[in-house]
Amino acid sequence: MPDIQVEHLSKSFSGTKVLDDVTFTVKDKEFVTLLGPSGCGKTTTLMSIAGFQTPDEGRIACGDDTFVDRAARVDLAAERRNLGIVFQSYAVWPHMTVAQNVAFPLRVRKMGRPAVRARVAEVLALVELSALADRYPHQLSGGQQQRVALARAIAYSPAVLLLDEPFSNLDAKLRERARDWLKELQHTLGLTTVFVTHDQDEAISMSDRILVMNGGRILREGTPEEVYRQPRVRFVAEFLGQCNFLTGAICTGPDGGVVLKTAEFGDGIAVLEHHAGPSGTIAVRPEDIEISPAAEPGAAGNGPEGTVLGATYLGDHFQYRVAVGMVRLSVRSQRPLAQGPVRVRIPPGVGTFVE
Amino acid sequence: MTSTIEHPPDVAAPVARPRARWLPASAGQALVWFAVVALVVGPFFPLVYSSLRSKPIYLPGGTFTLGAYRTLFADPLFLQAVLNTVWFAVGTTVLAVAGGTALAILCTRTNLPGRRAYRLLLMAPIVIPPLGLIVGWLAIYGQGGYITQLVSQNLQLPVWNLSSIPGMSLLGAVIIIPIVYLTVQAALAGTGSSLEDAARSAGAGPWRVITRVTLPMLRPAILNCTVLIFALCLEILGIPLFLGTPSNIDFYASYLYRSWSSGATPDPSFVSAGAVLLLVVVSGLLILRAKLSGSEQRFIAVSARGGGTYRPLDLGRWRWPASVGLGAYIGITCVIPLLGLVLMSGVKALTTLEAPWHLFTAENWQLVATDPTMRRSITNSLLIAGGGGAATVLLVALATLVAHRSGFPLRRTLAPALIYPRAVPGVILGIGFFWTYLMFTPGALVRNNLWGELIALCVRNLTLAYVVIYPSLARINAEFDRAARSSGAGWWTIARRILLPVLRPALLAAFVLMFITLLSDYDPVVFLQKTGTEVLGVTMLQTWQKGIVGPVAALAVVQVVIVAIMLLLGARVLRRLRRA
Repeated sequence: MPDIQVEHLSKSFSGTKVLDDVTFTVKDKEFVTLLGPSGCGKTTTLMSIAGFQTPDEGRIACGDDTFVDRAARVDLAAERRNLGIVFQSYAVWPHMTVAQNVAFPLRVRKMGRPAVRARVAEVLALVELSALADRYPHQLSGGQQQRVALARAIAYSPAVLLLDEPFSNLDAKLRERARDWLKELQHTLGLTTVFVTHDQDEAISMSDRILVMNGGRILREGTPEEVYRQPRVRFVAEFLGQCNFLTGAICTGPDGGVVLKTAEFGDGIAVLEHHAGPSGTIAVRPEDIEISPAAEPGAAGNGPEGTVLGATYLGDHFQYRVAVGMVRLSVRSQRPLAQGPVRVRIPPGVGTFVE
Repeated sequence: MTSTIEHPPDVAAPVARPRARWLPASAGQALVWFAVVALVVGPFFPLVYSSLRSKPIYLPGGTFTLGAYRTLFADPLFLQAVLNTVWFAVGTTVLAVAGGTALAILCTRTNLPGRRAYRLLLMAPIVIPPLGLIVGWLAIYGQGGYITQLVSQNLQLPVWNLSSIPGMSLLGAVIIIPIVYLTVQAALAGTGSSLEDAARSAGAGPWRVITRVTLPMLRPAILNCTVLIFALCLEILGIPLFLGTPSNIDFYASYLYRSWSSGATPDPSFVSAGAVLLLVVVSGLLILRAKLSGSEQRFIAVSARGGGTYRPLDLGRWRWPASVGLGAYIGITCVIPLLGLVLMSGVKALTTLEAPWHLFTAENWQLVATDPTMRRSITNSLLIAGGGGAATVLLVALATLVAHRSGFPLRRTLAPALIYPRAVPGVILGIGFFWTYLMFTPGALVRNNLWGELIALCVRNLTLAYVVIYPSLARINAEFDRAARSSGAGWWTIARRILLPVLRPALLAAFVLMFITLLSDYDPVVFLQKTGTEVLGVTMLQTWQKGIVGPVAALAVVQVVIVAIMLLLGARVLRRLRRA
């Protein structure tokens, strides 16, 4: 399967830029996620690849086929792009049975009847719906409809699979199962996939690579771990889970490393990254901060003193609101702590610079 | 399993050739667009042209002149007809708006006993063929009507005159009330009852709630439909022709019709001039209405949408009297006239001096069964209703898809084009088609035959198919189309395999509505009918004018029976479709 190249995509709706110079490549068999809040341009990007929206500028190509190239006045019709799409509403046609739905793209391609029958059986077996082939969509559950939509999308072995928030209409339990199942299927079939979601858990658990978008731009691109651990941009850090931000002066530590000094953390926080300029902001995940009771022996070495303002019990951990001087930190810990004075320590290397 | 899946199947993948988005289907879409626009807009050019010529188009010579307009205004009969029409329109509008609003509030907001059944029964005048209702009213309440005779001859009491302008307004209001009822009911449903509930919880009684909350809230809807109904009243033809003739009262449309059919010169151009003037007035009113409905939308958008259960307003001791009154209204306005129609079709003469079974005759029915003209008008009307209805639904369905589900460049012009014909008075459209068939060579193909009448009737009523099909299409998720396109289907394939099949119930409902309307409509063809191309409505009109009434009643009964059968059949098939 070929790569997808998206180059310099721009689009405005009545003066508002919804896409601003979006460029990325999806490699063969790769699972790439466009992640961002609603209105960030992720769906517009996906629909531009699918051919349901035309960008104002830019170029989209899939292997040797140019889908759209505004400069060369090329705009291939959606029905000629050979893509498989699973829509948010699934769009399973209500007047056709499951088998007829899946057969549709094959019949449009003038495939012979026996071949269609064999292929439909094969694909339905793959999505574990063989027993429901003659049912109508209104007789299916949401999860089953989603699998019909997927079967229809992959029936003719499309070049690329596009997924537009396919899990948003499923309940939480089912969603998790569908996620694992889809990821496995994508991996086995080696489908080049572009996935759109606003849910960071889905993005992190499924993707080979994540593109975080906001305001029509790609803010950060990388593997789930890279994006989570080194968000680089404040928005990305906040969007992928909770985050604390500390701003201070950049100094050189005793061992020659970079140290961020703030009013609260006067001893400095060791950061294993370089940063230009006299001051900077680091992002620290709540689970990376260590807190211990101030009265504990040897606690004096465990960073500055703070106060626990409140705690929320979340089953596998506690979420604490901690005040250190003027800053409020969110800290995740498995230790039960009473309200009152604590020591707060930010270990070296957990902080990462953000803009 | 997965090993075979990884290899693409033997599918001849479509060759990917770069093309502009809408091109593949555009020729067909352009054809649909052109057909609709030509049929709807076409007839108006010859109409305006012929009103500005000194001689009919088919005669040699002739110059541009405003003479036709001058002739029109110089005719005292015309000015009298205008005056009559205005009085009739005012009377009908006031009665219909007041009555329809009251009925809508009674049936949707109060605890009136039997309101569910009344909601359906009140729609009867929409489906009863209008001429059937008019003839039925004449048979019962007209000058020589059954009940009129009972009151005047048997009881020696003073009677009403149905052939006066107030009398005609009353019948006009009865025919038009369902439109008001539907508009007001829709507005009530849109606003919900939470505002009224709030007033009630503040201590207001039912009467105060209705007058201080419900009615003021409905004001935009009422205003809007007042304008619409006034415009509709200006074009009414059947009432003055049937009811006005005995007392020599002409309305605008009947004046045009009479001048046309009994004028000294054939095809007088001042009739075209009159049609153009009426077109201008009605179009002005409709533009006004469009502006008003804009403000109505705003009104509904800002008000709270009612949710949850709602307790109807308690009518108290007026519950049963109101229900009986409403039942009597339906009986007097619909049931008794329909019975009168049946009675009239089976007796030698309508009189209360002798028992009707002594006057029983099968002559009227025999005439209907044997007279070639009457037989032809039944078969012709059925042909037009069936064939024209099906063709119209197909064209309108495709046009609706082009208008709302395609990338066709001119698609936005289609929706207004589909709505306009019904807003134009039928007689005007008829005169327009008459001149169109005369002026253009393709028109000659359909001149003087049934096709010409079929086209005029279908164009006039295609709006009805659109208003049924469009809301259903709007409810179909656009992702259905996209899923089909990404599967490789072009516009026509999507229309044929996805959208039209999903629309099946709406298409059937549109066909039933078209069928019953085409069967009873006649305004646009009164200027087109020739020997051999008779349709029911015009035959009834012409037979009535000769003073032969029994067979007209029989024809009206035929119309009512066909409509009833069609409605029952349609409801049955629709139920089966919905279940599947």
